[in-house]
Amino acid sequence: MEALKLKLKQQIIEALNLQDTKPEDIDDNAPLFGEGLGLDSIDSLELMVLLERNYHIKVEDPREGRKILQSVQTMAEFIQSKQPA
Amino acid sequence: MKGRFYIQGTAAISPQESFSGEFTPQLLTLADKNLLRVKEPDYRAFIAPNSLRRMSRVLKMGLTTAIRCLQNSGVAVPDAIITGTGKGSLHDTERFLHDIRRYSETALNPTPFIQSTYNSVNGLVALQVQCTEYNNTFVHRGFSFEHALLDAMMLLSEGRAGNVLAGAFDEMSDEYFYIRSRIGSWKEQLTQPEEMFTAGTPGALSGEGSAFFVLSSTPSDVHIAGLKMLYKPSQERVHETLEAFLRQHGLQPSDIGLLISGRSGDTNFDHYYHALTAQYFPQTPEVPFKQLCGEYDTAASFALWLAVERMRKEELRHVLIYNQFFGEQHTFILLGR
Repeated sequence: MEALKLKLKQQIIEALNLQDTKPEDIDDNAPLFGEGLGLDSIDSLELMVLLERNYHIKVEDPREGRKILQSVQTMAEFIQSKQPA
Repeated sequence: MKGRFYIQGTAAISPQESFSGEFTPQLLTLADKNLLRVKEPDYRAFIAPNSLRRMSRVLKMGLTTAIRCLQNSGVAVPDAIITGTGKGSLHDTERFLHDIRRYSETALNPTPFIQSTYNSVNGLVALQVQCTEYNNTFVHRGFSFEHALLDAMMLLSEGRAGNVLAGAFDEMSDEYFYIRSRIGSWKEQLTQPEEMFTAGTPGALSGEGSAFFVLSSTPSDVHIAGLKMLYKPSQERVHETLEAFLRQHGLQPSDIGLLISGRSGDTNFDHYYHALTAQYFPQTPEVPFKQLCGEYDTAASFALWLAVERMRKEELRHVLIYNQFFGEQHTFILLGR
């Protein structure tokens, strides 16, 4: 799980071009939107694309997306839940 | 068209030191390809970090030039924002098209798609300065900037705007440079700007840049007196049009104190300039500009910026710009004091 979260943080930084942000700057449980990283609605679309490209997970329901994209922790848990046992 | 169109302020990002306010023409040394790249300023002084991270190079260039131009003009919110671009955000367009192919039309990033639209810079400028007035972008290859200028002049002439932010922006990508190389637009051998007029070879040096102007009906030291465009004209038609254009403004060729020409050292098209200067301006000082900024769709915007710079430093009553883009789009811009 820790390795997945670290990889996810690196992918978020790259996908959103978060200059001057390092993986250790992102708290696992900090909100991604509003406070925390201060991302916006376009970033949420970018994160959906990130999930699809890197983990082959398509989020169809926007309400589900809102829960998944709360933090790095919730994203990592969702990815793990979708991976074959 | 009635009226004078006064230039209140300018700004340009180009391969020259045009943005810093310390411009003296420099002949750059090209390292590996016939491309003059812009000198980029520190964009962080003009654009919020959260917006900056998402923008491609040409968007940063265009937005920053527009903001600086408004600052230089003392205008907070213009009555209209009008731009011209030959290719818009090439980088984003290419990225988006590559992703369509790579991901088989699925999982496409929204950002390059949004930014690849030609009017992105206009939208960003409008958002930044909170301008909800007239907003238009012209995309007509070598006439893109000219149409933006014409639209601005028409708005002022009709009294529909008191001041207009008008400008142009274009970037060169590696892929587009390569495509244009294949059709012979650029010189084949590496040619330095200082050699481009004597090389005697076909093709130009490629370039890029962004230039903005605030035009207004309020008098200032320099104004645009007229603009004329010609599409694929014969040499004779260029000459007839110049004669009529000058006559329309009550001028003779000898009244022109400075000719700013778009000579590029391209043996395919420089004959237009040779013939025009030989016939009408044998004694008039001529300043070519493409050794400074290279060739691109909206290079005439750099010429206009240069003309205003010269007129503000020298006692010139009338300056004429003559530019043509690969023999297709020909433009005359007349400036007065």
